[in-house]
Amino acid sequence: MDYQSMLSLALPLGVAIAAVGSALGLGRAVGSAMEAIGRQPEAAGKIQTAMIIGSALIEALTIYALVVFFIANGKIGG
Amino acid sequence: MIGLVIHKLLMLAPTWLPSIVAIASGGGGHEAAGDAHGGGHSSGPPHLPSLLGLLFAHDSAAYLWSNPIYAIATSLIMCSVSFVVYRKRTMIPGKLQNFLEVLVEGMFDFFKSIMGKEAKRYLPFLGTLFFYILINNFWGLIPLGHSPSTSINVTATLAITVFLYAQWTGISRLGFVGWLDHLAGSPRDVISWCLVPLMVPLHIIGELAKPLSLALRLFGNITGEDVLVAAFVGLGIAALSFMHSPVGLPLNLPFIFLGMLLSLIQALVFTLLSSIYILMMLPHEEHH
Repeated sequence: MDYQSMLSLALPLGVAIAAVGSALGLGRAVGSAMEAIGRQPEAAGKIQTAMIIGSALIEALTIYALVVFFIANGKIGG
Repeated sequence: MIGLVIHKLLMLAPTWLPSIVAIASGGGGHEAAGDAHGGGHSSGPPHLPSLLGLLFAHDSAAYLWSNPIYAIATSLIMCSVSFVVYRKRTMIPGKLQNFLEVLVEGMFDFFKSIMGKEAKRYLPFLGTLFFYILINNFWGLIPLGHSPSTSINVTATLAITVFLYAQWTGISRLGFVGWLDHLAGSPRDVISWCLVPLMVPLHIIGELAKPLSLALRLFGNITGEDVLVAAFVGLGIAALSFMHSPVGLPLNLPFIFLGMLLSLIQALVFTLLSSIYILMMLPHEEHH
């Protein structure tokens, strides 16, 4: 197997696995935020802000995988 | 007196420092990942054409310096709006002054909830950083615009600026010995002193990882949303290509809105993390 086939197989797979991880993390984070809002609806604004910020940090890890994809993508194609 | 001038210059650093460093690092070159250089046309991720790309040749200076040009346009917009309002400020504000006051007060309340009473001192730096990154991100969403945040040079410049400012804050507020003590984990008893050779490399690596993560997060998110919009533009054109129509379906419209939300969130997260890094350098009560 030459390196191009390997890269073409591995790069999207890497991004997909990172997406699974971040989906699980985001599900937990947003789920907890929903519970907290249900418990105390007056604090919905603050909880929402904290949830958005936390989601952006969790999302960043998938973005690192995407960045690696972009960097290695140029190598495919000889 | 000179310290005050330097202090004010440092506070306004997000406006002038990124332009200078981007120019010094070779024009921030318009290198999209997978872009063709020289020989064959390797197809990288799809990108929409920008105004400079349509007006000038792709190897002319005006196109290769797209990123600094759009970044300086951002600075000019911010400076001119502030200048116009500042010249004719009144006690009972007009519409534009009112709008800017809402923005500044919103930022102030946001940072007060994080930094407490230190917020007033660092508000100029952090507020400018937020709006600079926000308008930079928005350039990519208007047609024929190109966002400078899609270049790792620009985002790394901003991250390094924040990193240097945080370290400078630590050194100037804690003193040089206090800053080294903070890096060593504030040893107070025998066990902490024995752990110092472990804590110093750990803290140094942690401090270096922060600008890296800031730069990569902003770069990856904004490039991703740009590529997403461009991909859906291509899809919209391909959807109507069977009837050879000159226009395509506007399939990218919902993704423009998603891009606006993501740009706002990324600017907010960058500024929030910068404020937390600066806050960590200031004297605070609890020790880790």
